[in-house]
Amino acid sequence: MDYIFEGFKEALKLLTTFNREIYGIVSLSLIVSTTATIIASLICIPIGIHFGIKNFRGKRAFSRILYTFMSIPSVIVGLMVAIILSRKGPFGRFDLLYTPKAMIIAQTLLVTPLILGLTYSLSKNRAKEIENIGITLGGSKKDIIILIIKELRLDLMVNVVTAFSRAISEVGAVMIVGGNIKYRTRVITTTISMMKSMGDYPTAIALGLVLLIISFAINSVIYSYSGED
Amino acid sequence: MEVTVKNLKRYYSERLVLDVDDLTMEKGKIIGIIGPNGSGKSTLLNIIAGLDEGYSGRVRYDEQPIDKEIYKEMTIVFQKPYLFRRKVYENIEYPLKIRGIKRAEIDERVEKIIERFEIEDLRDKKAHLLSGGESQKVSLARALIFEPKLLLLDEPTSNIDPESIKIMEREIVRFNEETGGTVIIVTHNMEQSDRLCDDIVYLEEGKVGH
Repeated sequence: MDYIFEGFKEALKLLTTFNREIYGIVSLSLIVSTTATIIASLICIPIGIHFGIKNFRGKRAFSRILYTFMSIPSVIVGLMVAIILSRKGPFGRFDLLYTPKAMIIAQTLLVTPLILGLTYSLSKNRAKEIENIGITLGGSKKDIIILIIKELRLDLMVNVVTAFSRAISEVGAVMIVGGNIKYRTRVITTTISMMKSMGDYPTAIALGLVLLIISFAINSVIYSYSGED
Repeated sequence: MEVTVKNLKRYYSERLVLDVDDLTMEKGKIIGIIGPNGSGKSTLLNIIAGLDEGYSGRVRYDEQPIDKEIYKEMTIVFQKPYLFRRKVYENIEYPLKIRGIKRAEIDERVEKIIERFEIEDLRDKKAHLLSGGESQKVSLARALIFEPKLLLLDEPTSNIDPESIKIMEREIVRFNEETGGTVIIVTHNMEQSDRLCDDIVYLEEGKVGH
């Protein structure tokens, strides 16, 4: 048990002494996952609302396919992106593999079905009434989408946070496309995985604590904003 | 706005719920649609509002089929109104904002209608936290603020207090007299239809009765 307590003590020391490497890893994690979540949200929220309120043939099949993709394993996404970005792949000439940009692409693809599916499900259940009011007050398609986003903003924010949590806590995709290169593509989860293999528990615990603190902070902001307990 | 309905049929999974051969609701009048539960009153109103497109037949507005411009000239107030999760003032100003009306005019018109509906004390309250009667008044104020040519009301005064009913009826009549807008109101309340309506349409089992 001692090594666990020692690990925690060392972890707190690493965090409170502002270890440069640790904070570099944390900031890269935040940049990659936040950017991926923002890109996916900007694309998927309007599309999810559109498909949620629209009646079309094959909607049931569309739902099933979408919900299946929501739980796609991150290693599969990582593998697909790595193939596409590899030197022989269709986007090999951009030389993106093993860069933070490749990690952002992978995480964007990872959270896209999640945000799309959650928004679609939310809109299917709750946006019809809002759409009807928007129509009967003379709103255009654009007015109605904006109205629905504003009315469902708290639920949408929870969806976005869920997607961010998935992005920042995944290890498979960023490991494959980023390569866990020191000072370049090393993020919290890949470092924890590596440190555990090396037996460096203090660093692994320190980063684990940071992940927990990030999750707690984001959830606290969201729930205080929504007025829930 | 005059509304004409011809050969209208609406089925819900093979059950015919509405079957109207020929019905004209004249411009500038207050028309009551009455009838027992399940007679198709709300279905007819939703079809006229353009919210239900699963029908066969013809609905015309001043002899025109429904289009974007007609949607902008009419509105509906539901029995259970949906108010936006924002302040009462912001709810009422919404139809004017999406029509691109200038801020000064919006403020003037919203203040005027708030005074008419006697809801000054609600101005800054969150709309989704209001009582039933308060919600209905705000919902009607939001519908009237842009002076539609056609106002559709689906039992707007059921289950609310007499004082609110009085204010709402007064404002419906005022709207009709001042703007010449057509009002179609679905109601269960015969006394209310006597008080408000110029014409009555009686629906029974989806058909217009006499």
